[in-house]
Amino acid sequence: MNNKISGLSKTLLILSTILLGISMYVPIWSISLDAPQYPEGLSLTISANGIGGDVDIINGLNHYIGMKKLDNADFIEFSILRYIIAFYALFALIAALLSSKKILYTLFTLFVIFGVVAMVDFWRWEYNYGHDLNPDAAIIVPGMAYQPPLIGFKQLLNFGAYSIPAIGGWLFISSGVLMLIAVLKETNILSKFKKNKAASLLSLLAISTVLSSCASKGPEAINLNKDNCNNCKMTIADARFACELVTEKGRVYKFDDMACMVAFKKENTDKVNNALIFVSDYVKPNLLKSVDALTFIVGENVGSPMGGNYAGFSNKDSATFYESNLSAKIITWNSINQ
Amino acid sequence: MKNNILKVAIGGLIAVSALQSCKPKNAGNAVSNDAASKVYVAPGKYDEIYTFVSGGFSGQMSVYGIPSGRLLRVIPVFSVDPEKGYGYSEETKPMLNTSHGMVPWDDLHHVQLSKTDGEADGRWVFANANNTPRVARIDLKTFRTAEIIELPNSAGNHSSPFITQNTEYVVAGTRFSVPPDDANGDVPINTYKQNFKGTLSFISVAKEDGKMDISFQIQCPGVNFDLSRAGKGKSHGWFFFSCYNTEQANTLLEVNASQRDKDFIMAVNWKKAEEYLKAGKGRKQSVKYAHNSYSDVTHTATSEIRTEVTVLDSKELKDICYMIPCPKSPHGCDVDPTGEYIVGSGKLAALIPVFSFDKIQAAIASKAYDGEYDGIPVIKYESALYGEVKKPGLGPLHTEFDANGNAYTSFFVSSEVVKWNIKDLKVLDRVPTYYSVGHLCVIGGDTKTPYGKYLIAYNKITKDRYLPTGPELSQSAQLFDISGDKMKLILDFPTIGEPHYAQGILADIVRKNQVKIFKIEENKNPYVTKGEGESKVVRQGNKVHVYMTCVRSHFSPDNIEGVKMGDEVYFHVTNLEQDWDVPHGFAIKGAPTGELLIMPGETQTLKWTPDKVGMMPFYCTDFCSALHQEMQGYIRISPAGSNVPLMFSVGKNQPKETATTK
Repeated sequence: MNNKISGLSKTLLILSTILLGISMYVPIWSISLDAPQYPEGLSLTISANGIGGDVDIINGLNHYIGMKKLDNADFIEFSILRYIIAFYALFALIAALLSSKKILYTLFTLFVIFGVVAMVDFWRWEYNYGHDLNPDAAIIVPGMAYQPPLIGFKQLLNFGAYSIPAIGGWLFISSGVLMLIAVLKETNILSKFKKNKAASLLSLLAISTVLSSCASKGPEAINLNKDNCNNCKMTIADARFACELVTEKGRVYKFDDMACMVAFKKENTDKVNNALIFVSDYVKPNLLKSVDALTFIVGENVGSPMGGNYAGFSNKDSATFYESNLSAKIITWNSINQ
Repeated sequence: MKNNILKVAIGGLIAVSALQSCKPKNAGNAVSNDAASKVYVAPGKYDEIYTFVSGGFSGQMSVYGIPSGRLLRVIPVFSVDPEKGYGYSEETKPMLNTSHGMVPWDDLHHVQLSKTDGEADGRWVFANANNTPRVARIDLKTFRTAEIIELPNSAGNHSSPFITQNTEYVVAGTRFSVPPDDANGDVPINTYKQNFKGTLSFISVAKEDGKMDISFQIQCPGVNFDLSRAGKGKSHGWFFFSCYNTEQANTLLEVNASQRDKDFIMAVNWKKAEEYLKAGKGRKQSVKYAHNSYSDVTHTATSEIRTEVTVLDSKELKDICYMIPCPKSPHGCDVDPTGEYIVGSGKLAALIPVFSFDKIQAAIASKAYDGEYDGIPVIKYESALYGEVKKPGLGPLHTEFDANGNAYTSFFVSSEVVKWNIKDLKVLDRVPTYYSVGHLCVIGGDTKTPYGKYLIAYNKITKDRYLPTGPELSQSAQLFDISGDKMKLILDFPTIGEPHYAQGILADIVRKNQVKIFKIEENKNPYVTKGEGESKVVRQGNKVHVYMTCVRSHFSPDNIEGVKMGDEVYFHVTNLEQDWDVPHGFAIKGAPTGELLIMPGETQTLKWTPDKVGMMPFYCTDFCSALHQEMQGYIRISPAGSNVPLMFSVGKNQPKETATTK
């Protein structure tokens, strides 16, 4: 078998070198902290040569819970990380110059191993700092540990911690992806998938569905006198009739009247498949509730802005009361939705 | 081939972008309410509520109208106010006298409206001075500080003032334990546990005129007393103090006072203490403390140094004080409207304990004790506990109540207010505050029948709430409508100083008693001038007394000569107006003091030592009339020993006619 790699792979490898080179000098990972009394946000960035961002402020806060002070000197990783990344960058360059499949495969394997080892090491440090707390700390919440998430979100007391790759991290991952593409090209594995397009599409879909389910499905606040109805474009001003549609993907559509929402649904059936519908409670306009939790009435005297004249009530007794008070009729969501 | 690579790439991109959505969205408040109509007070209309707000490190008390959040007035209490002449005029200087001399500033933390039968009665507001321990009484007819009493044996007067349901006593407690005034204070600091004591002061308030007197003090273990509340209804006759630093640490309290899992709420049976006092069980101690009062008749403050106080020892007199364990470094200690439930808020706790007065009484009767703390019996936690509110938030500080059996607690660390039901200890609602709320105020929240309706959260961190004003920002406050099931944010406004606490009262109760002017016939100031005809300048040795009147738009006299270097000049200015809202001001060039601001019918004195020979103008500083700019005068200062005759007049001192003009 030919040990030479294609022009495309060589290009990808050289690109990898460049991306890895850059990632040595920019933040690789960031942990951002979100708390009510920090509207400006706080963040910790991890670069190849040390931690940055609001380290001093975070250390100040951490001392209340007895967490160790974050200091570059305590992490041996920072003295060698740049060299390790440089090593892989050079490795990729050599693979391109020597045009060798063997070097490419070795590179890719070692790179993935390094990635895994790095994440495990990161997790270990997070565990250590989160659990090894000073017993003399001022705030001790029984059973509480402060291990930040490895990747994603976690609530720690009044702080929401959000751990995600920074630009350097994305560059690192991207160069891994580029190497993967080169490997796939050279090994021709994908030709096996040519026969089964459905399988490849399905796996893609599966991945993206799983990941997009991370999107939260609660209702978004409707800002009175600011938001416009997605259907009739008028300003939403009457809290009692405001309603909202949240699509599967998390896209939010707001309306000033249920009639507008129903009309929008009819014209956009593709967008609103499996969407969640929230309508405000007529007597407690502070709350948007799911349609399943509401009883509806309809009647001329209800007086909604666009003439739909529907009102929703979370309390059945309120619905009955207004039914007679406004000479309206109780109606189900299914009927409204037709 | 390329197609598949593309698919992989796109799949990767989708994965990456989907990860971005992993950050949870806040549920947040849904539809924002029409808050504007709830807080708008139309021009010419009045607010519903007066709130009396502590100024914290400004030393003053501010008055805000609710629901508009408008600042109505800043009342000078413990800090000098050159705008009003408070602490600058001869008549008001004695108000700030202490056993240390004149102290021009203090730290005013808490306010208490006077009560009758458990309801706010609108007669007085009491305030504490945290730094040089004092309690002040403000008269709500004139919105002026009427009386200030200093507290001996005390330091850090934080747990103060708190009053009993009929204003029998205003009670204070010490935040900093120190050796008592008559013990040797010159001891090493680390002998805290042996030598340092906490002191509670019970100040009696006379029913008719509010005059304060330290009825007795109780000497307690060296803990830090934080906040306090009187019992009411069934628990009337008892007082509850939150204590922290039961570790009795004297250094790095941040760590050393946070060690013990539970500190205490100290329950004090003051009715029993009164009995001991009557039976002569108190020790008379020789001390020095100031007592100052301002009279609206003489418009003068007098200061006296008192030299004795009676102290009851909590170690000796066994059935006055009881300790109830409370997690963890408690701050607030609040009694619900029925007087049955006592809510402890532990700054570092993750739950809220609620104690029952009945259970406490039963525990005392059956001696359900868990040992003693420095000679004081410690009641078993479970024997006193009604229940705990679980996982309410982080860092509870202070609780007030509405009339429907609900409690509202402020949480500093999680920056929110949480509403919970007292009977079933269930959390009903929570709202964020911006940011880090300290105390909150529910209108009538500490009375027998709270008015409710409004809750104001006084926050410690402002950051981005308002237009920025450099590195130093005003403290922020938020007004919530609590009339419904859920709390609704309706207004956000900045405040002066650092409000620690506030109390509110229906405006109508206070409004009807307002003094508009002082009647000139009733003015008994020793230097009053009751008419222009009586105005004069009198020399007594090197003291020159100017008996001056002011009326729209001139002073009498307004030309004064014959004053010399080395003289002490006293301008006794009487405002002859008898009309509503016509004050006059008085200031003289180069005088190292504040202005005088004199109300109709009032007399105030500015003392001035001329510093150079020449001509000094004086003028009215408060815009009083169309010809306010014409309201001025001159005083001529001659060298020491000169024989310029004493002359004073208004309107008569015309220029001499020269020969050429004839």
